[in-house]
Amino acid sequence: MAFRTARNLAYFSNYIRNYSTNGPLVNVTVNEKSGFATATLQRPSVNSLNLELLTEISHTLQQLEKNKCRGLILTSASNKVFSAGLDLFELHKPNADKIKQMWSTLQEVWIKLYGSSYPTVAVVNGHAPAGGCMLALSCEYRVMLNNFIIGLNEAQIGFSAPMWLIDGMRNTIGSRQAEFALTAGTLFKTEEALKIGLVDEVAQSKEEAIEKAEKFLNKFAKIPPHARSMTKAALRGANIQALVRNKDEEVRSYVDFVTDSQFQDSLGEFIELNLKQKLSK
Amino acid sequence: MALRAVRSLAILSNPLRTYSTSGPLVNVSINEKTGIATATLQRPPVNSLNLELLTELCTTLEQLEKNKSRGLILTSSSNTVFSAGLDIYEMYKPNMDRYKQFWTTLQQTWINLYGSSYPTVAVVNGHAPAGGCLLALSCEYRIMLNNFTIGLNETKLGMIAPTWFAASMRNAIGTRQTELALITGNLFTTDEALKIGLVDEVVQSKNEALEKAGKFFDKFKRIPPHARTMTKTSLRGADIQALVKSRNEEMNKLTAFINDPKLQEAIGMYLESLKQKQNK
Repeated sequence: MAFRTARNLAYFSNYIRNYSTNGPLVNVTVNEKSGFATATLQRPSVNSLNLELLTEISHTLQQLEKNKCRGLILTSASNKVFSAGLDLFELHKPNADKIKQMWSTLQEVWIKLYGSSYPTVAVVNGHAPAGGCMLALSCEYRVMLNNFIIGLNEAQIGFSAPMWLIDGMRNTIGSRQAEFALTAGTLFKTEEALKIGLVDEVAQSKEEAIEKAEKFLNKFAKIPPHARSMTKAALRGANIQALVRNKDEEVRSYVDFVTDSQFQDSLGEFIELNLKQKLSK
Repeated sequence: MALRAVRSLAILSNPLRTYSTSGPLVNVSINEKTGIATATLQRPPVNSLNLELLTELCTTLEQLEKNKSRGLILTSSSNTVFSAGLDIYEMYKPNMDRYKQFWTTLQQTWINLYGSSYPTVAVVNGHAPAGGCLLALSCEYRIMLNNFTIGLNETKLGMIAPTWFAASMRNAIGTRQTELALITGNLFTTDEALKIGLVDEVVQSKNEALEKAGKFFDKFKRIPPHARTMTKTSLRGADIQALVKSRNEEMNKLTAFINDPKLQEAIGMYLESLKQKQNK
């Protein structure tokens, strides 16, 4: 903050101010003119959600809420992957305490992002399976680039998405489509995702996507923020309350599930077949 | 009823008889051949929903339920506005007793309309923001004339639509679209409304709308009414029960909230701006 003050003084004449807080894993810039923040996930190689990244995201969201952010664009520094979801290596042969912390922080991220008072847009500029799709779903609006895939494919790795995420998916694409997508662990191509309403707009480039994101955020310029956020809270409240009530029980349940040998075996296989090959290429 | 019997006897040969009860604010006519009632909102200038209009509408709906109406068309006598929504004057420096009556009657009107046993069609022959949209959404079917707007725009006015408003919209267009519509306080054009399913058909004239409404009611000709009603109740019951259970709590919250000085100031300023527009 002291650094910011010094810079303010130095560049006082520069009206369009950008300043950034560079966490190692999440880069946050705020356009001082529009008041919109852009949070860019930058954990190489595929923004997989480990405890550190989840903690930084959670912390970022908290700061934005505290600073009465006017709107958030969530995107990725990679041009191939938005986020690959939970870090499967961290789930493999895990330390139970670490899983507990990870899951707890994941819940926090959902509560803060899905329940943010400020408007949110996901600029999905790369693949978004599982946890990546979760981040996109928790935003109010999704703009996706062409030729990528998005979906809740937890079932593919022997995982079952938590209730709040299932509800989030249902609330976005409807019960029928959600049931079909979740049981088959479907990963939708951009155009298919647009068709079923999983994403709202398609863009040809990140620049175009950011433009569309800002257009969405600008819709709220004349809407009293208090009324807007209370309306959002009324609509999303039940989902969040259900999670808050069951938070600890769910953590226990997922720790048990993840540490169980059946899941560990199928996860080990998945990593062997799908991930180790890719990494060695 | 005696009048109806006499009239029936007198003109037994002419089946196409309608009779009407004209309340000052809601005109009700019933086509004796089809048994379909038409309730026409007629509170100048814009059918804004005040205690008197809501009371008449609420009573009308109860009468239709009691008389086992075969169906209701809800429309407006204005050719520019279906209903402008809740009368802001009811919320400006309100008398608390009247305000409580006003809100209770609004809740009851919705319960009666959204939960009616008989089929309902809104012929939206004018603009339908906020409470106007609510009335339209509460019906089973919506036919709208071209070149008007419809939506729950409460957020734009710094207000929050109650959960049962949202439930009515969700019932028509789904959760995702409802969220988007409510946080932006969007007013959809007729064509946009048709596209997302907020309205079911678009027409060029009120007569065309009444024709299409008739076609909707015809769908139920061979459906046993009892089964139809129970099905509708199964589908809409949860939404209605949610309000029934929480209506007192909601009332308490609103009576506390309505006198907030900031809200009163905002309403006062809005009324002032309306007066200035009228004076121009």
